[in-house]
Amino acid sequence: MVHLRKIVAKLRNLFGNKRAEEDLAREVASHLTLLVDDFERRGMSPEEARLAAQRAYGGVEQAKQAHRDERSLLWIEQTMQDLRYGLRTLSKSPGFTLTAALTLALGIGACTAIFSLVNAVLIRSLPYGDPSRLVYLYTPNPQFKLPVEMFGPAYADFYDLKRDSHSFQKMTAFGQSVFSLAAQGASERVSAARVDGDFFRTFQSAPELGREISPGDNQLGHEKVAVISHALWQSMFGSAADVLHRSLLLDGKNYQIVGVMPQGFEYPHSTDLAYGEPQYQTTQVWIPLALTPHELADRDNTSGNAVARLRPGVSIAEAQAEMAAIMTRLDKLHDPQMRGWGASVKNFVDSTVGHVRSLLWLLLCAVSIVLWIACGNAANLLLARAASRMRELGVRVALGAGRSRITRQLLTEALLIGVAAGAIGIGLAFAFLRLLPLLDPGNIPRLREASLDTRVLLFTVAVSLLTSVLTGILPALAVSRINLTDFLAATGSRSVAGAHTRLQSGLIVVESALVVVLLASAGLFLRSYINVESVNTGFSQSTVTLNIGLDPRYTHPQAVAFFRNLFARLQALPGVETVGAVNDLPLSNSEDLRMFAVDGYPNQISQLAEGRWVTPNYFRAMSIPLIAGRLFTADEKPESQSIIINQSFARKYFAGRNPIGGRVSRQDDHTRWSIVVGVIGDVRHNSLEEAAEPQIYHPDMEFGGGYIAVRSSLPAKPLAATIRTILHSLDPNLAAGNIQTMGDLESEASAPRRFQTSLLTVFAAIALFLALVGLYGLMAYSASRRTREVGIRMALGAQRSDVLMLVLKRAALLLALGLVTGLVASWFATRAIQAFLFGVGRHDPITILSVCALLAVSGLIAAIIPACRAASIDPMQALRTE
Amino acid sequence: MPIQILQGTLDLMILRTLATMGPQHAYGIANRLQQVSDDALNLNQGTIYPALVRIEQRGWTRASWGKTENGREAKYYTITRAGLRALNEETERWRQMSGVVEKLLAEEP
Repeated sequence: MVHLRKIVAKLRNLFGNKRAEEDLAREVASHLTLLVDDFERRGMSPEEARLAAQRAYGGVEQAKQAHRDERSLLWIEQTMQDLRYGLRTLSKSPGFTLTAALTLALGIGACTAIFSLVNAVLIRSLPYGDPSRLVYLYTPNPQFKLPVEMFGPAYADFYDLKRDSHSFQKMTAFGQSVFSLAAQGASERVSAARVDGDFFRTFQSAPELGREISPGDNQLGHEKVAVISHALWQSMFGSAADVLHRSLLLDGKNYQIVGVMPQGFEYPHSTDLAYGEPQYQTTQVWIPLALTPHELADRDNTSGNAVARLRPGVSIAEAQAEMAAIMTRLDKLHDPQMRGWGASVKNFVDSTVGHVRSLLWLLLCAVSIVLWIACGNAANLLLARAASRMRELGVRVALGAGRSRITRQLLTEALLIGVAAGAIGIGLAFAFLRLLPLLDPGNIPRLREASLDTRVLLFTVAVSLLTSVLTGILPALAVSRINLTDFLAATGSRSVAGAHTRLQSGLIVVESALVVVLLASAGLFLRSYINVESVNTGFSQSTVTLNIGLDPRYTHPQAVAFFRNLFARLQALPGVETVGAVNDLPLSNSEDLRMFAVDGYPNQISQLAEGRWVTPNYFRAMSIPLIAGRLFTADEKPESQSIIINQSFARKYFAGRNPIGGRVSRQDDHTRWSIVVGVIGDVRHNSLEEAAEPQIYHPDMEFGGGYIAVRSSLPAKPLAATIRTILHSLDPNLAAGNIQTMGDLESEASAPRRFQTSLLTVFAAIALFLALVGLYGLMAYSASRRTREVGIRMALGAQRSDVLMLVLKRAALLLALGLVTGLVASWFATRAIQAFLFGVGRHDPITILSVCALLAVSGLIAAIIPACRAASIDPMQALRTE
Repeated sequence: MPIQILQGTLDLMILRTLATMGPQHAYGIANRLQQVSDDALNLNQGTIYPALVRIEQRGWTRASWGKTENGREAKYYTITRAGLRALNEETERWRQMSGVVEKLLAEEP
């Protein structure tokens, strides 16, 4: 105890306790003064008196230290006392303790779970050297009215920028490719990055084994080297130590492995680049970009992406200003028709996580509302209990317990509940993190890296303490305001109970208002989700699709022959109706945008259409309806220049005309006209939530790679297995990409919405549940407090139905107040979720009405049980209580 | 010969002093103890501080700053109702205790 006491004393001194120290110093000084005065009065000289006083007093520092020790010792004693007492009282009413702890645990668990996500995505730093100085470089051209992120610098522009700019420490250009990777006797499709010599140095990420790709590797003739990811090293090479002596085949070409990146470096991820390769989540192989001299001078083509590292002290605005100046000069070297190339420098971190930031903050807001409601509930429970303990507490006050001591006692109890809730909450969050991969919407970077690390746990501890204080403070204040004389005068605790119930009712009103806000938001999200799900995509969901890319072992005629053979084999399968093919499937995030001119239309330079190459059977395989004209035929001649357009194209560019027979050309070549032979229905290509763009389809009579669409009456799974068998028999080295139905693709496309909607709905449901428990609790409590009153009323002739109405009316009043407040709050709060809505206004009347109905009905159900119980009181017995 | 104070008895003596003399500062209390003991209780005046903290934190006294007759500032301790009750209990306990000790000592041949 002596040790502990010393330690705590030291700790307490660390934390200051300044006021007590000052007070002590003042007291000691005054004590000495009084001693000196006394000795002087006895006739000593001031000097003698001072010495005598010091002798009489003893060591000043010892006295002070003794004072301090005693102070802290008492503090420990009281704390231990409070804890013991708290544990005892809590364990005496396990029902109450459990309800309060579980209520808080739900709130804390939800908060911890979402915070761990926020931590992984927004707070934890990226695995690159100082990511805050990394930037993306773009050369947008406003002529095209396309997103800035689509304009990676052209090869020649990039190298001119690299040579002439001073804002950047390092700059790198890279592109993405999907390869058939073969090594160690296995093969798979992987996403690779083709990078220039400064790629790894720009990111300041070094390999864990071997070396990075250097400028020397980018010299033609030296480019057959590869750096692989940690994951690939593990899965394909079994973490072999001699991996640097091995090689791998990418599309049949041999590459020497020179390095292995550490775990965590798999840049670019599918979430990093808005217009990147979307099929594969991560990059597994890096190879040199190795541009030819011709490419180095090319101002029309681009590797797609450029990342740079700002020099220390250079701001993004400064870098952009310098880059813009250089681009103004370079713009003159571009094709006169296409000029207008500008400069844009964007923060790397913002680009990586910017699009999910608002969603994550929204979710965090939602869970904090849940936490507030949980706190409100727990506070209500504590208040109710404090009211029933009024006698005990009142007696303690009367016996001389200080009010601060009582407050402290109640806070300690709240703290104990909070700590237990925090522990359960961590368990809940852990379970949530296990479930998270199942919900992965695919657009949240590093979602799967969310974990309960130190920061998250500290957050949870802080939240638990905060909730303890929030829940404990109201009851503590209410109790410490007990008026002793009132308390002693009234034989019971009626006087204080009245004030309590008002406070509790207020909490219920606030809780239901918060629930209304959450319910309204969740309702709007649900409506949006339903709208997205019921979007007419324009194609059949049951069509089975697969992606096949042949490697360079195949010449073009061989590839064409391969696919003709494959189509014939698939077509011959029993149950298969049609087999078609296309270069880019809808919702596969690949796009071919082109400029064009329409005969007889006031053409503008920026008009763009999506172009696709399809085999004649494609539309039938996808069940895309023909609106007018005809489909492509099997004997379509390339020289006939037939095209098919979609309805949007026809509506916009052939308004009031018959599109069939209309003429369309390339923007830059008005001599070769294509003839519109048919109009088909609109297809949602980019996303489910964007209306179809004008689309142009070209016949592909020599299909040599891309997506195959199979329409059949067979179930998808066995069909996929059959297709794999056929592919294997045609070429055992061929890796087939995902075989999936269009419905799967659609489901992937709506995954982000499903993610946010399901989370928000679950949180709203928890909030509603908590608020109902709170309402039920309050009604049950106040009904039991009014047992005597009810007894008197009934004895005086009140009917059971009157009593029932008495309780229900009060519940209805609270609910109505909460509903109105909540509706007013949601009217403004839903502005925050406006951007997340699809096809529904933020003041959607159906949603508002549903929320009202839901809250009213469930609230009254929660209130009717205590109401019935109150109504079934036996008046005689009621009058005898208390 | 100065006497050693028994553990816990200082609290009782201070409470008693405050109960009989009314509000007092630390110096006044120390002086009073010295007087009453005819200087046998020759304690350093600083040693009463822990006892003062203890009884104040138990709610037995309340402290406030005031002025002495000579206009010096001093911290005055006032006994509370809880303190009076504690004093009664402690006094009772002390009486029983000292009675027992007295009896034992009287049996000595």
